[in-house]
Amino acid sequence: MFHWLEKHPFFFAVGVFIVIAFAGLVEILPSFAQASRPVIGTAPYSTLELAGRHVYIKNSCNACHSQLVRPFKSETDRYGHYSLSGEYAYDRPFLWGSKRTGPDLMRVGNYRTTDWHENHMMDPASVVPGSVMPAYRWMFTNKADIDTAFAEQLTVAEYFQVPYNQPVPMKDGSSVVVKMGSSVAEANAIALEEAKAIAADMRDQDVKDAVERGEIPEIVALIAYLNSLK
Amino acid sequence: MDIAQLQAYGYFTLTIVLVIALYSYIYHLYSKKKDVDGVDYESYSDMALKDDLDDTPVSPKSDEKEK
Amino acid sequence: MENRPLEYDYTVAKMFMLTTIILGIVGMLIGVILAFQLAYPGLNLMLGEGLAEYTNFSRLRPLHTDAVIFGFTLSGVFATWYYVGQRVLKVSMAESRLLMVLGKLHFWLYIVVVAAAVVSLFAGVTSSKEYAEFEWPIDIGVVVVWVIFGMSMFGLIGIRREKSLYISVWYFIATFLGIAMLYLFNNMAIPTILGTAADGTSGIGAWYHSVSMYAGTNDALVQWWYGHNAVAFGFTVPIVGMIYYFLPKESGQAIYSYKLSLLSFWGLMFVYLWAGGHHLLYSTVPDWMQTMASIFSVILILPSWGSAINMLLTMKGEWQQVAASPLIKFMVLASTFYMFSTLEGPIQAIKSVNAIAHFTDWIVGHVHDGVLGWVGFMIMAALYHMAPRVFKREIYSKSLMTAQFWIQTLGVVLYFTSMWIAGITQGMMWRAHDEFGNLAYSFIDTVTVLHPYYTIRGIGGLLYLVGFLMFAYNIYKTMSARPVEERELQNASPMGA
Repeated sequence: MFHWLEKHPFFFAVGVFIVIAFAGLVEILPSFAQASRPVIGTAPYSTLELAGRHVYIKNSCNACHSQLVRPFKSETDRYGHYSLSGEYAYDRPFLWGSKRTGPDLMRVGNYRTTDWHENHMMDPASVVPGSVMPAYRWMFTNKADIDTAFAEQLTVAEYFQVPYNQPVPMKDGSSVVVKMGSSVAEANAIALEEAKAIAADMRDQDVKDAVERGEIPEIVALIAYLNSLK
Repeated sequence: MDIAQLQAYGYFTLTIVLVIALYSYIYHLYSKKKDVDGVDYESYSDMALKDDLDDTPVSPKSDEKEK
Repeated sequence: MENRPLEYDYTVAKMFMLTTIILGIVGMLIGVILAFQLAYPGLNLMLGEGLAEYTNFSRLRPLHTDAVIFGFTLSGVFATWYYVGQRVLKVSMAESRLLMVLGKLHFWLYIVVVAAAVVSLFAGVTSSKEYAEFEWPIDIGVVVVWVIFGMSMFGLIGIRREKSLYISVWYFIATFLGIAMLYLFNNMAIPTILGTAADGTSGIGAWYHSVSMYAGTNDALVQWWYGHNAVAFGFTVPIVGMIYYFLPKESGQAIYSYKLSLLSFWGLMFVYLWAGGHHLLYSTVPDWMQTMASIFSVILILPSWGSAINMLLTMKGEWQQVAASPLIKFMVLASTFYMFSTLEGPIQAIKSVNAIAHFTDWIVGHVHDGVLGWVGFMIMAALYHMAPRVFKREIYSKSLMTAQFWIQTLGVVLYFTSMWIAGITQGMMWRAHDEFGNLAYSFIDTVTVLHPYYTIRGIGGLLYLVGFLMFAYNIYKTMSARPVEERELQNASPMGA
């Protein structure tokens, strides 16, 4: 049986392929048939939040921070309700991470504030003595890439029917509409509006001035994203 | 039948088939020392040990054409 | 030049030997820097505030993993393929001009892709998926390189003199197919320049940015189906292929059981792919998948140990060679570490163990006893065996090799023991409650307690890096060592004092 395969490389390769592809067929395809639907209260990311998510990814925050609360008492005590599949419906890519060098961030928006993040990103050890996290000072000067975030919104709305500019149901029975611009200029204006609200709670004068001038530093976008994690 | 039930039946059948295939293959390997070409299975190790360009292959490819 | 007898042509093998060593040094050096950054965070600023963005932990971390996987290990796989492939198929690359061109093209395109990957990761252009960080333009480059590797491999198989494929060739074929399938499916993404705004503008934002085809839980499932099996088909399958050739050849012993190798090959192929879900235990993927992944991970011990035991029994009656030859030492210790990490992995995949181990340094320790002890040792042993044959010279120094062996072994032991303690300590502290049911420790308590272990880990990594530099030096000096005759190269490699 198999010694015949060893003398016929083509059929050998076909055989290997069938054997290794088998697990994928059984395990992965069925879960695609039942792709998870967003739970009530999960809204798509706004332009600024998405730009912040890109800052998060650019700096590999996911290398040290998970976004997955497992269903154990010790974890729900520490981080809040355990994760539900539908909460990740708009996460492309997923950011569960594989290592908790720092704490989980799945619901960090519930217990940390804009000024906490501002101080922490500038000098982590000043907020959390003993922290091994590096400072991320360049985020206060680098500009966030709003255009790319907007392009991503357009792409997911077009290809994956993500509900921008449509009412999304919330837990209290109300609904919210996440706005997506109709042009690059409008998208930037929407993001700037959000950025101003964040910058109002910050104390770094350079960041405030930048937002006043119509520029959005990376730190503002990142904080908008972190605040949205609930 | 929904997909979960189909999966369960598929998985069960497959496990049985694989177990039978595996054990009969093991039995076959150990009951017969030689493969279809009449080469003792263990002599294939020589492919690594005698691998100079002028060593004789264990089962030369040119055999195929002579048959 | 005319009428010279036909010889194996190692030109391409030599090129990849060079990148194995260079990218190995790069990957391991970054690893040591990362280890010390965790112990001493001030090192994030080692090149000053201005360059902090490029020297801090988070920017370097994907560079370390990718340099070791796609740089060091893949180069090692390519180098050994272009060496072992010719020999066990009994055909020289010099016999086909096409194969020679393909081989060189393979190398140079690989270099281009590596350069692009390094630049993009330093710039922070990443998709965030572990070991699949590259954005779509580089992904296309990776696919092209891989297709050329496949053409070159099947081309050589097509003109072979030996009708039957040797065990190592099975593993190389499986490596090619497995990584091709996994890489393609995991990197499915839509470039965001395709998005069109309501006013008709398109091509907005960064041209290289893309968005994953899968969302949330599905994305995680595909990613760890890839992530786990990229390890399988990069760190396990081709390395098993290597040891099946190099250990028998170097020791002059036939493989203990050819039949056992058959069983373990097909067993490994079938079982490995199921186990990816063990990275997602207690997550939001369906329970049956988690259970299945856990069970298959334990079954995986059988085919893994099948190969490892086959290797150790190959040395039956010839154990004095382990004492006599540092090269055999490397390979025997490699297969021992293979047994060790293929036992440790399934233990971590048991759900109740995983509840403590997941997200901790124990997982990091597991990866490293596999990669440092098994992959690293085997690739270095393979290159040591190849060096006298491709350069026609004896290995420069046997005593240097022995010293390197002990230094690196000590490094690996320090690494995984410190990570065991760190991981289990942290996992236990996270879940500790006091008598009133409140959490006993704040998160930062569980970080500061790790400082001594992080320091020991850094020292372990540094020892391994020092050993690797000794290896590089030894190979470099081999190129100008005493020339040897063809008959000295039959089995045990010739070594200078």
